[in-house]
Amino acid sequence: MIVARRLSKRFGRFHAVDSVDFEIPRGQVVGFLGPNGAGKTTTIRLIVGYLRPTQGVVRVDGLDVATDGRRVRQRIGYLPESAPLYGEMRVSEYLKFRARLFGLERARRGPAIELALRRCRLSDVASRPIDQLSRGYRQRVGLAAALLHEPEVLILDEPMVGLDPSQILEVRKLIRELAGRHTILLSTHILPEAQQTCDRIIMMARGRIRAAGTIDELRSLASRGNRYTVETDAPKAGAVLTELRGVARVEALGSDGRWARLVVTSLDDALDLREPIFRALAERGGAVRELHSEAPSLEHLFLEMLAEAEADYARREGGRDGAAA
Amino acid sequence: MSRSLAIAGRELRAYFLSPTGYVVAALFLLLLGIVFIVRAFDQGQPASLRPVFDIGAWVLLFICPAISMRAISEERRLGTFEALMTCPVSETEVILGKFGAGVGLLCLILAPTGLYVLALELYGRPDYGELASGYLGMLLAGSAYLATGLLASTLTNSQVVAFLVTMFFWLIVSVSTKVLPPLLTETWARPIFAVDPDLRLKDFAMGLIDTSNVVYFVSIIVIFLIGAVKSLEARR
Repeated sequence: MIVARRLSKRFGRFHAVDSVDFEIPRGQVVGFLGPNGAGKTTTIRLIVGYLRPTQGVVRVDGLDVATDGRRVRQRIGYLPESAPLYGEMRVSEYLKFRARLFGLERARRGPAIELALRRCRLSDVASRPIDQLSRGYRQRVGLAAALLHEPEVLILDEPMVGLDPSQILEVRKLIRELAGRHTILLSTHILPEAQQTCDRIIMMARGRIRAAGTIDELRSLASRGNRYTVETDAPKAGAVLTELRGVARVEALGSDGRWARLVVTSLDDALDLREPIFRALAERGGAVRELHSEAPSLEHLFLEMLAEAEADYARREGGRDGAAA
Repeated sequence: MSRSLAIAGRELRAYFLSPTGYVVAALFLLLLGIVFIVRAFDQGQPASLRPVFDIGAWVLLFICPAISMRAISEERRLGTFEALMTCPVSETEVILGKFGAGVGLLCLILAPTGLYVLALELYGRPDYGELASGYLGMLLAGSAYLATGLLASTLTNSQVVAFLVTMFFWLIVSVSTKVLPPLLTETWARPIFAVDPDLRLKDFAMGLIDTSNVVYFVSIIVIFLIGAVKSLEARR
């Protein structure tokens, strides 16, 4: 549905988006995940045609944003960051205004507005001035405005920022409800948010894509194996476990004299090592007072990715400075 | 076109949902009312609004930049500009909509001065041709100031800067076309005279609709509106 090829945007010497490639298939909920300043908003603005790329192309539904901007925008419902709205207008007036901008015929406007109000649970505030609404309501007005013309693609920039936990739950539920009908692209800097809402995640940092895939794919990237925490009094437990089939490495976390605490990482997560670990230790006459496994964590990958991005960025900037000098 | 109308309608209503519209209208009418009572509506005076148009043209120089300053600047500052420009609208539609709203507001502000015409009719025999010409002049000059202000508003996020740039631009044009010519030779003085908006407005106030005067203001409007569209396009 959305395809970007070698997409770049520079502001002066600053590379906000640096040669990015991605594809967003129809009907999926995809999240741009990255820290502030990663280039998420700029990338989104390039997709919706608010900014023109310095290099590269974006296509939406096969249409080039650079040459067919208007038709692309007709297919997209876009909620900019922090949901900018005309505060002096009433909710229904604002939606009517948007319906006209999107070229909905007069007869279709009323029903479309009704539907959007209902889907975003706004019916009871339809005649209130937007200025008087809480943050959560305003966010939903922005969402209703984006939905109004039944776009094929829905793009939401940081839709959860500034909402309280119950509002976040509501907006998340709303997004999941909309997922069936629209291709949804959202951006967030909060990992659990992306995990809970998205089918696929594209991790960005410093203007580049650092990792992309489904949650499971990313997890297997995060670490090639599961982690097992063991507490045992078996002699030379570290050496014993290292010998075990399927073990990648063993780290000793410490010991209080009798009980040693170790972390075992497996080569891949298909194999459950809990039983072999127990048997190996028991054979040496050791007791095991704790043994549990953890799935590889995305946080881990996320942090690793950030560190890598920083290092890579420092290298590139160094290179550029060198070239300039 | 219908999109421009939607934008113009929203903008025009926003003027009256905030104090801007009322303040601008009230101050403008107060000032012109004083001029009308003191200079035009008096025994022995001709049944004409010429003094009102003369002063009105000057007042527009302050009123119009105040109307146009928020057009784009304010939307940029609030972020609504992004929501607007990511709708399937073209830069031209946006600029025409904003300009239409400004001209609409100008008409609404000028409309109550129709009462002066009514007063003249009750106590004298006004020349309606001259009045129509005077109003046309006001509208053309006001629209030219609005178009300038619109361009200024696309260039800055600050309403104050947009206001000042517009007002000073026309003050400088107006003053320099009066001070410069005596210092110059005939060949140079003549084109500078031609740029003076006040001489042309005097013609309109006298009831003289000279094609060159109409062309002058219409060209200014078109040039600045094109400038504003290009300025929006360049931003992407």
